Amino acid sequence: MAGRKAVSKASKSKRIKTPEAGFLAELATQQSAQYRLAQGFGVLFAVALVLQAWAFANVFSDMVLQQAFSLSFLFLALFALLLRALANYGRERVCASASRHIRYGLRHKLIAHLTQLGPARLRIEEDAALSTRVYEQVDALDDYFSRYKPQVFMVTLIPSVILLSVAPVSWVAFLVFMLTAPLVIVFMIFVGYKAAQANRRQFNVLAMLSNQFMDLSQGLAELKRLGRTPAARDRLSNSAKAYQKTTMSVLLLAFLSTATLELFASISIAMIALYLGLGLLEILPWQVGTAPVTLTQAMFLLLLAPEFYLPLRQLGNDYHAKQKAEAAATDLMSILDTPLSVETTSESTTDYVPSSAQLAYLSFYELAWQDTGRQRLAPITGNILKGERVWLSGESGVGKSSLLHLLLGFEENYQGQLYIKGKAFSTLNLKDWRNKLAWLPQTPEWVNGSIRRNLLLGITEPDESCIQKALQDSQCADFIAALPNGLDTALTELGSGLSGGQMQRLSIARALLSKADVWLLDEPCSGLDTDTADAVLNTLETVSRGKTLLIVSHDTHPIHWADKHWSLNKEGLDESTGGLDEKANYAIPR
Amino acid sequence: MKKPTTLSLAKLLLANPWGFIIPVITGVASSIAGVALLGVSGWFISAAGLATALGTALVFNYLTPGAIVRGLAILRTAGRYGEQVTAHNHLLGLLRTLRLWVWDQRVAKPIADLHQQSRGDLLQRLVSDLDQIIRWPLVVFLPWLYALLGYVGVSIFAYFIDPVLLWLLGIAALCHLVVLPYVCGRFASHAVHVGQILGVHRRGRFVSLFSALITLTIRGHWQDYAARLEQLDNRQKRMEVVIQQAISLGRLLAYMVTIGLLASVFLLLGDFQTDTSEASAMSWQLKDQVSGTWLVGLVLALLAVNELVLPLVQSFVAQGQSQVGLRRLNQIQQDAPPVSASALEKLTHLSLRDWRGYHLASGMGNQAIDLELNTGDSLWLRGVSGSGKSTLLASIAGDCLATGKAYVNQDECGIYDNPNFQGQLSYLPQSPYVFQQSIAANLMLGKADASDAEMWAVLEAVALADWVRGLDNGLSTLLSSQGRDLSGGQRKRLVLARLLLRRAPLLLLDEPFDGLDKATIERICHALQHDYQPDMLILVSHIDSPLSEQARVIEL
Repeated sequence: MAGRKAVSKASKSKRIKTPEAGFLAELATQQSAQYRLAQGFGVLFAVALVLQAWAFANVFSDMVLQQAFSLSFLFLALFALLLRALANYGRERVCASASRHIRYGLRHKLIAHLTQLGPARLRIEEDAALSTRVYEQVDALDDYFSRYKPQVFMVTLIPSVILLSVAPVSWVAFLVFMLTAPLVIVFMIFVGYKAAQANRRQFNVLAMLSNQFMDLSQGLAELKRLGRTPAARDRLSNSAKAYQKTTMSVLLLAFLSTATLELFASISIAMIALYLGLGLLEILPWQVGTAPVTLTQAMFLLLLAPEFYLPLRQLGNDYHAKQKAEAAATDLMSILDTPLSVETTSESTTDYVPSSAQLAYLSFYELAWQDTGRQRLAPITGNILKGERVWLSGESGVGKSSLLHLLLGFEENYQGQLYIKGKAFSTLNLKDWRNKLAWLPQTPEWVNGSIRRNLLLGITEPDESCIQKALQDSQCADFIAALPNGLDTALTELGSGLSGGQMQRLSIARALLSKADVWLLDEPCSGLDTDTADAVLNTLETVSRGKTLLIVSHDTHPIHWADKHWSLNKEGLDESTGGLDEKANYAIPR
Repeated sequence: MKKPTTLSLAKLLLANPWGFIIPVITGVASSIAGVALLGVSGWFISAAGLATALGTALVFNYLTPGAIVRGLAILRTAGRYGEQVTAHNHLLGLLRTLRLWVWDQRVAKPIADLHQQSRGDLLQRLVSDLDQIIRWPLVVFLPWLYALLGYVGVSIFAYFIDPVLLWLLGIAALCHLVVLPYVCGRFASHAVHVGQILGVHRRGRFVSLFSALITLTIRGHWQDYAARLEQLDNRQKRMEVVIQQAISLGRLLAYMVTIGLLASVFLLLGDFQTDTSEASAMSWQLKDQVSGTWLVGLVLALLAVNELVLPLVQSFVAQGQSQVGLRRLNQIQQDAPPVSASALEKLTHLSLRDWRGYHLASGMGNQAIDLELNTGDSLWLRGVSGSGKSTLLASIAGDCLATGKAYVNQDECGIYDNPNFQGQLSYLPQSPYVFQQSIAANLMLGKADASDAEMWAVLEAVALADWVRGLDNGLSTLLSSQGRDLSGGQRKRLVLARLLLRRAPLLLLDEPFDGLDKATIERICHALQHDYQPDMLILVSHIDSPLSEQARVIEL
């Protein structure tokens, strides 16, 4: 037993080594009360197991020797069997509920985390892929928490209980168990370690194969146009075949570990059976003429022998559950490890507020954003006065969107200073600040629901004339009037047939209705053709007078009416007044 | 191997019968050996005990049963090993067959539907459905077969003890193998089904909400919406509870059946005995013709069969999931592969009469137009957004449905989804696809035997050569899934490079300059007017470029 303990300790410390295993272990501790209850059921199960073996042994031996047996033993045996079934039932229920709580709690946490990440979530994956992680990948943890995790405990419990109950009955059987158990474990480690490696590799390659299939399938239209589908089919077929071949050689080894376990279990059972049989016949070489055990004891040992190895074998079978869980954990951790914006530290606590910042509405002083070694925004300094409209341009990847995300309050881990009306950004009440904002991204954001509901998202319902005025100003009134259901037309993610320009106009109407002071626009015109874009920009010009506005737009869509033009590059900010800037910097993106 | 047209679970079993038969045989041998191992050792020990008690120990033949016990132990192990190895081999083969089946169905699919299907997570679901389904024979069918054969083996044994036991075993087998799995499967199948629907719904809501995350957050409304997402999650949780209940209860009931079976075996084979010498315990006397040693063997064998039966309930609940997956797979099934028309000569002239491209789903498209294109022509399609420029271009590429007549080299020709026609053109759609392969492999899709020099030249032409040179692995750099590590402009240019390598007579470009700066645009146009000039060009763009200056303009 000491050997086993050492082993379980060793494997424990090994488990903590990989971050995935640490992550899973931490999740499991949330439900430690449930798991303790499950362990209680496990103990009950083990006791019932021994009780059942003992009662059946009595029944059997009496039956064999006297053709009759005591009914109370039979009842006891059947009762123990029932107890075992009930303990198993209870254990399953408890473990399943623990797994459920862990998974649904984790999912809740993931969604909350993604929410707080805001636009930064798209750096991990696009939304559809994120939904796969949040739903499928979290569910992939089920087998681990409901089966593998509790089984680890049973693997130590049941053999220990059996050893304890066998010891007073027969020292030889005890020794057989004692000798084979470490052998089984040693083999599990030697062969199992190799097998685990092989298994892991196989798991990875299988994932790669799935990936290849996904990739080729997604680009199938492209392949069809290029006339390359037969080549791709060959590729799929060949790699699957080659994979099958190499994997089989790996699997031959991998399953050897289970087979060794099985062999040990089978041989030990057979050895014990043989020992008992010969002992009963009184012809054991070292004690001819005397029986070391009675028939009852022999039966007892025989009934317990297979149970001794069973949990170990099950653990081997559940091993893939662990692997699946660890693979999923990698994906989930990459979400949770994406740092949330933390309150800025010492840097922003400087009391010095530049005098210009006290006058300006928005003020940046050496504002930069360095994220995991990558520069997302070069240090910039500049001021935006109240009612000033600023056009921000620059190459892609230079940090235009990042600046907007900072202002939206999704990223607070910036360097340098950011002031709103002379107050440091970090001291602001984020909720109040966000209430002043209107956000118009490249693809307007809509939830499923009517146009009216989308326009009035999160604001107290204004009277009808306000709505009409906003629609007039944003030049939505005409096309909305043309819709059969008017404002009650449902918008889906696809936009229900409205054009890109019309959708942008609706966003403008929404911004107007929200009475926001500060408008942040992220390339509202990319994806629109020049005429539509010009028309939308014209509308924007008229409705946004008096608003403080920061618009990100490519040089292909210049904002002629802006009060200032900021051209952002990797060194910082170039400011020029007026909308048109002929010195615009054309360089190869990235 | 014959390619199955529709999928069914039975067809899965027969997809590769020879590959399947080995795991079945080894598995059966191993299961029966496992049951027999317990039975025979039980009998052996009781017989040995009895022999000693009767004083016949010295004439008791212990060698044969001893050998049988050891033999069974080894057979069980070897069988299990053989089963696992061969079953996995079979499974991998099945995976390959099924994937190719899905591939063929999708290739046969009209290209317009394909776009619909490739979007979003549908494909992802198809792939996970495949993984689910191929396990069916191993997870559901084989365990059931083993349990059935375990029962058959025990029944033969029981017949020799007392034929009346067969009735009991029959009833128990019926409960274990048919009634319980069926009832639990049915009970859970509703929950499985609802769970699947909820899953799709939940994902849809997730994507919809997250696409409006910022607006919802700055309006302070996110909480309400997140709560609704939570509600769906809770409903899903309840479904999971139902499924779990079905499995656990089913297993408990299976235990009950075993207990009942054991009790009735003893009841049938014995009588109540009142006049015992011991006053304390009541005892049960076995019938005369029943041998106690054999009965011990039978009871132990029944306990072993119980172990075979227990996993069945769970696997039959899992079967519900396979069936849902199978239904979804069959939906993509496609009967007739497209008839390939006769090969076309090199395209020199294309004319379209009364031509209107439209989308199948919405019916939206362009106003019908006439269009004439000869070698050396270039055409610039313009129009306000929503006028159907992209749709028209896609329909000319044979990617999208259209009405009207098309004449290729003066002959009337159906160009929709016509591989021969598509062999004559290169089409750059608005969101082109970059494969998760190396840059070189992506380029070689355009020309299978392209040399390095050719590839560098074409990269130079689309102004990507500097970028590729800057990468550590150059041309053999692996691109990430869907070219996610490329910017939109880079992705477009890479695909354009691939198309230019093809040197097809007709080049169709949909907004090729989106997100590019002026210098790059000029460079690409220069290449398209010199080294890589196509015979005919149709351009959709809202940006003026040197290319459009020389083009004939068509306003939509």
